[in-house]
Amino acid sequence: MVKDLVSALDYSNCATAALLLFVVSFVGIVYGSMRLSRKSADAFASIPLSDNVETPRDE
Amino acid sequence: MSTATMDASGHATDTDSTMDSFSYDDKIVRMFVTATILWGFVATLVGLIVAVILVYPWMTAGAPWIAFGRLRPLHTNAAIFAFAGNAIFAAIYYSTQRLCKARMWSDFLSHVHFWGWQAIIVAAAITLPLGFTQSKEYAELEWPIDIAIAVVWLFVFGGNFLMTLINRRERHMYVALWFYIATIVTVALLHVFNNLVLPFGLLESYSVYAGVQDAFMQWWYGHNAVAFFLTTPFLGLMYYFLPKAADRPVFSYKLSIIHFWSLVFIYIWAGPHHLHYTSLPEWASTLGMLFSLMLWMPSWGGMINGLLTLRGAWHKVAADPILKFFVVGVTFYGMATFEGPLLSIKSVNALSHYTDWTIAHVHSGALGWNGFMTFGMIYWLLPRIFQTKMWSDRMVSLHFWTSTLGILLYIIPIYAAGLMQGLMWREIDPETGALANPDFIETIQSIVPLWQLRILGGLLYVGGVVMLAINAVMTWTTRPATYEVPVITARRLSKTYQDDTPATTTELADAPVLELGKKMDIFAKMNWHRKWERLPVKFTILTTAAVLVATLFELVPTFLIRSNVPTIATVEPYTPLELAGREIYISEGCYNCHSQQIRPMVAETKRYGEYSKPGEFIYDRPFQWGSRRIGLDLAREGGRQSSFWHWTHFEDPASVSEGSVMPEYSHLLEADLRFSGIPALVNTAHQLGAPYDEELTNAEEMAYKQAERVAAEIVSQGGPANVQEKKAIALIAYLQRLGTDYFRTEDDEAAADAGEEVDAETAEAAEEIAMSN
Repeated sequence: MVKDLVSALDYSNCATAALLLFVVSFVGIVYGSMRLSRKSADAFASIPLSDNVETPRDE
Repeated sequence: MSTATMDASGHATDTDSTMDSFSYDDKIVRMFVTATILWGFVATLVGLIVAVILVYPWMTAGAPWIAFGRLRPLHTNAAIFAFAGNAIFAAIYYSTQRLCKARMWSDFLSHVHFWGWQAIIVAAAITLPLGFTQSKEYAELEWPIDIAIAVVWLFVFGGNFLMTLINRRERHMYVALWFYIATIVTVALLHVFNNLVLPFGLLESYSVYAGVQDAFMQWWYGHNAVAFFLTTPFLGLMYYFLPKAADRPVFSYKLSIIHFWSLVFIYIWAGPHHLHYTSLPEWASTLGMLFSLMLWMPSWGGMINGLLTLRGAWHKVAADPILKFFVVGVTFYGMATFEGPLLSIKSVNALSHYTDWTIAHVHSGALGWNGFMTFGMIYWLLPRIFQTKMWSDRMVSLHFWTSTLGILLYIIPIYAAGLMQGLMWREIDPETGALANPDFIETIQSIVPLWQLRILGGLLYVGGVVMLAINAVMTWTTRPATYEVPVITARRLSKTYQDDTPATTTELADAPVLELGKKMDIFAKMNWHRKWERLPVKFTILTTAAVLVATLFELVPTFLIRSNVPTIATVEPYTPLELAGREIYISEGCYNCHSQQIRPMVAETKRYGEYSKPGEFIYDRPFQWGSRRIGLDLAREGGRQSSFWHWTHFEDPASVSEGSVMPEYSHLLEADLRFSGIPALVNTAHQLGAPYDEELTNAEEMAYKQAERVAAEIVSQGGPANVQEKKAIALIAYLQRLGTDYFRTEDDEAAADAGEEVDAETAEAAEEIAMSN
């Protein structure tokens, strides 16, 4: 029964579903990244430049 | 900076409860840097030896532990897990502490990690030449070592890393840390699932997967080992050390975020491109190709981000060999990640697969990207961790130029060799419609000069590593008597932190829009994501989820097809003796040179016979499809040659196949097979689903009888007598079985039941194939 059911499934839909999932995720990622403010991005990017604790970025 | 006192672990606290004093643990970085240099030398030296014995196989003098099939896995494992592995640990231990403004959570775990990892490497270096292998590329190590890897990687290293993140003093987790998180969780996932086995000895086991499923699982692992062991941690390294060396922030932090998430979402799908035109379902193969092509986008985004970090600092590159290493390393990242998707395109892959093209591609990535990023990092670190000047800047520069030349001398001939192989294998004579190069040896002989040139390239690269070692040792000798340990005081992070601009309000508050619209506006400000980026545990869970979703999308349907792999009625489990022979095949690393998968292409079916079917591999644990053809494909080897031919071939390959680069395996003709070990193989295969009956109680006797039949065949063909107890007999029995079940008829089965010596029709069918070629 289960074997028949599994055999009858059309797995080719997985490829389509996977692509859709990717597109939605990617658009979300790009959108989220673009929403990052310039000030925050600059602050984050400068983190590796100092090994010491700078004026606390936040507490 | 302050001079506050600390406890032995470096985590002393100030009297002010909100202030901590700490120091960075650079001792562990020094240890991992030293190990990186040592194993880098070993890995490249073994690579050089492998390149030499491939051209001059007689140099092994028949010694099994230094044969190509056993040493190649040692080379790849040393390069990946010993050299690159120690390099990423050095990078992670140095950068994580500084990015988190915190010492590693536990010095004890750091040291357990270091010594545990080195013990694993030593265990690999001993077991692989001795022939203990799972035969899955980059996952060759046997189950006890695999368990040690899982424990050391996930619980010791991963646990220490995660706790450091939790106890950090920098609110934002810099993007390099994201790459490290993805590395730790994904490698753990890949390692555990690809190495699920059922042991039948202390260092021997059968994969729980068989045939198509095993191949799919292996290349899901294999590709993502490249992605998450050789790419993501090195990108973390790039995002930390390149800005440090250039003394300027990364070009675009936003691009780095897109780079990260795109890689995490896309990479995990790409594995099936390693199995184009095999017995893998078409949809999985196509999906792998499409996602591989998508990788162009984030990979080049990352490369451009790295190179543009040097904007306005290119004058420094001209003078600073460290930046040169980084620039060339990042450029090789771009080249390798351009070529990878290219190779995943089916029509290109049809030409490149099984050829040296793949080897050239891998080495442009490994030598150029991983090697140069590691060298750049080490040269940047040495003066800092040894607190002295670099011993010789000129030698650093010499190392750079020597290795650059070495890489070019390596990859250019091997690209040419790969193209030649692919084109010669597929060339059809337009007059006759037959193969233009029917003799496989011809295709090998024509690329031997290119293999010789590769040795020179390898020699230069090893020379560069020697220069690094000398420079590191000499720099170390000028270190101060006692290392200065700066103490840093910083406030702990508040648990009640709120963003400067909490996204709980919307400009639409008074506007005439639906409540849903207002909520959507707040959601779209993405502050919820900023918050996630600061929560290491949640971030880790989300990264794992991203990887798992993609994995399950591909794996679950592929495993379900177990139910609809077209069953071939004549395909039966291996006999006890054949099982023993298969173990010898695996142990000798034959899969390193011989594939067992005939693709449905005219040139392949003309050369090797009927293309491979999924149902033919249901008892293959592990699968033996291979990824490279230094020798012929063996999927339909059964019956193509006489048993005595095989015997002679093991004794002296060139005597029956002039110009062969296969080393001699005369030890198989001399060593006795341990028949008493065969029942364990049968029982384990039975537990995994092989339908054995009499074999379960009588395996040893059945094996011996079959060995006597094979030995009698050899005698009747003019070979030596009384060889039925030799290992070679079991291996010959296995080889004579390969690919024959598909052609088996009912008459054959009746003949086999009657104990006849040769499966006449099968041999005839195979001979017909051979004749038609």
